[in-house]
Amino acid sequence: MEVREPVPQKKARGLALAGLLAFLGVWSVLSYADIVPTVILPSPTEVLRAFPVLHFEEALVRSAGWSLYRVGMGFVLSALVAIPLGLLMGTFPPVKHFLSPLVDPLRFLPISALVPLFLVWFGIEETMKIMLLFVGTFVYLLPLVVEAVENVDDVYLQTATTLGASRWQLVRHVLVPGSLPSIGEALRVMNGIGWTYVILAEIVNARLGLGHIITVAGKRSHVDQIFAGVLVILFIGVVTDWMIRVANKQLFAWKS
Amino acid sequence: MARQLTPLGRFLLVLAGLSLLGYGLYRYGVLARIAGILAPEKRAEGTVSRDDFGASPAAGTESAAPAGAATAGAPLGGGTRLNRPIKVAIVLWGGYAGGIMANGGLAPNKDSVFAKDFGVQVELLQIDDFTKSRDAFRAGGDRGGVDIMWSTVDAYALEYGGLARLSPKAIMQYDWSRGGDAIAVDASIKSVRDLKGKRLACAEATPSHYFALYVLTQGGLTNRDVDWKFTDSAVDAANVFKAGQVDAAVSWSPDVYVAARERTGGHILASTKEATNLIADIFVARGDFLERHPEDVRRFVGGWLRGVDMVHKNPERAAVLLQKSLSGVNTLDDAKGMLEDVKLPDYAENRAFFNPQGSLVNYQSIYQTAQNIWRKIGKISQVYPGYQTVDTRFLEGASEYFPQAGAVKPEFEFTAPPRAQAQPILTKTVSIYFPTGSSTLDENAKAVLDTQVVDLAATFGGAYLRVAGNTDNVGNRESNQRLSRARADAVARYLVSKGFDRNKFEVVGHGPDKPVASNDTDDGRAKNRRTDFEVIPR
Repeated sequence: MEVREPVPQKKARGLALAGLLAFLGVWSVLSYADIVPTVILPSPTEVLRAFPVLHFEEALVRSAGWSLYRVGMGFVLSALVAIPLGLLMGTFPPVKHFLSPLVDPLRFLPISALVPLFLVWFGIEETMKIMLLFVGTFVYLLPLVVEAVENVDDVYLQTATTLGASRWQLVRHVLVPGSLPSIGEALRVMNGIGWTYVILAEIVNARLGLGHIITVAGKRSHVDQIFAGVLVILFIGVVTDWMIRVANKQLFAWKS
Repeated sequence: MARQLTPLGRFLLVLAGLSLLGYGLYRYGVLARIAGILAPEKRAEGTVSRDDFGASPAAGTESAAPAGAATAGAPLGGGTRLNRPIKVAIVLWGGYAGGIMANGGLAPNKDSVFAKDFGVQVELLQIDDFTKSRDAFRAGGDRGGVDIMWSTVDAYALEYGGLARLSPKAIMQYDWSRGGDAIAVDASIKSVRDLKGKRLACAEATPSHYFALYVLTQGGLTNRDVDWKFTDSAVDAANVFKAGQVDAAVSWSPDVYVAARERTGGHILASTKEATNLIADIFVARGDFLERHPEDVRRFVGGWLRGVDMVHKNPERAAVLLQKSLSGVNTLDDAKGMLEDVKLPDYAENRAFFNPQGSLVNYQSIYQTAQNIWRKIGKISQVYPGYQTVDTRFLEGASEYFPQAGAVKPEFEFTAPPRAQAQPILTKTVSIYFPTGSSTLDENAKAVLDTQVVDLAATFGGAYLRVAGNTDNVGNRESNQRLSRARADAVARYLVSKGFDRNKFEVVGHGPDKPVASNDTDDGRAKNRRTDFEVIPR
């Protein structure tokens, strides 16, 4: 193996498959051979058998729909707020410095500790869940947007200025198109973060939701259902991630 | 004259066709059926009403002590002695005072009663997070977890399915919640009936939930009559109540009392101070542990109950030790308060509790009722017989440590009559059939009392029960009044024969004076011929 040796696509797929099989193999050996007790690590068959139970008794599909909705709303909201604000901060350093004492520490916000506060502020219905997902992703998205704007090469700005571009035109035709591809990548990361916070968001008064299913399964010691719920989240995460990646490629074709 | 359709036209045509098809499928219910297959609803939630509680007739009387079983007093054979401390998961709660007393704290130590008098080392681990305590139990004491965990009988009936593979067994009871669980309500709610349509917060599928279901149903409502707001923990429920997000919340001490105090107009509607025999805390041990080390478990049970006797003799010292040992107890007064929220059953009471013919409210009756209720509201689909979930060998085997243990003494003292101005927490209305003009209870009426009232009276062990007879307006008012009183008196006498204190009951005959329906119809008159059981706090 050479450093950064390019791998042909076919071989790459083969390697991915081998990795997956190796993982399944280790899991099977550990669980079927009872090296780890099944009450701690369920076997692959047990996890598979949990799916029909979740589907017919716990409304797995509807729950996935609700979680998608909540994560999606949090995602859209944080994009709607963070992208304009980030552009503003990245474009005008005084704005950035003015807001930095607020924004910088926010990245260390312990979201889990905020759940009780959010309950009191936003109630126990959907608002609270979406706000939690919004805040959870927003605090990460904003610095990434600022960084994306700042990373647009000065050369483009200088060229545009030489060509006589106004301040608005600089933003509209240089900074926005220049930063959008990176912002698109940042949104992919936000999707991932949103799906990790969904468990927290659905801890209170969620009749349906993947996070709710996992929490309840945890309380009742149904480890197989926890695994099944996690698998569904992973699946949705991978699919939505792929969708955002394709969308990024289509929308910001100029990057390459 | 064939005209070529434009791409847009073709698209619109297809769209129109699809919408038509979609509407047709929807109209004839095909869509709903497809949705039912692709995305089924949650398991249906049934209705829980008062008949779901106490339906299994409990025999015996409150003071009956069980006879000793074959294993009485003997060391348990089989298995080996443990060469490490027995690990027990506990939480911040006064009910552990017995074990903490016998252990001289949480850590295993050689000077403890457990070690010196019972020859076992015990380590109590405070794990306040519910899910983590279950993780520890699943791991087991040999793998960094615990051998024995806390539960309540009602919650155990719910979580048994997930743990069944460990074949866990309930081995002893360490407390009754006595004020530890309570319902805080806003100013507009004066009795259980006022909860109708209100937002009620509690942690789902917990003792809080069970307590709420009990109080709601006995007060004439069902689980469908309130707007449940389920929170992750009891503390969250208290907090959303404090913040005014809900009208009522079930939580535990001290959070629920703080919340009731801090919300304007907030007060406590009911607590386990009145519903004394509803939430029973028990220890559950792993099946493999019991099989390998039965003798250690017998000694553990004996040592713990010795500790309970020590707490009863010296509550002051227990409070000091409780404050020192548990994290989260700030002052000595807090520790004393925690002890007041529980009742620690001694050896005799434990034996009566685990005997299906012992206490009126016992392990089996609570387990069966709870399991039935969780199944009804869709929380479990598989049921397990009660006897499979319990192992009383250790308790029976510990009898040699308690030679003095006799019959269970009545716990509550009642001085007749209850305060006149006391508001009933709830009123349970029961129709008891009497022959015309007679106040004699026939077998049918006794059966109704057995299923509807005996359990109520036993569960609300710490409350007065006002038995109020009512009639319709047919006949002479004076004689109706006399008759209704005589009938209420017959009811009370029957209940006393079940082992209750006579002073627990207040007998009232209202005659036709308190109708609940119109006396102009047969149906209304039938409704008015009733006996009301009012639960009144002491």
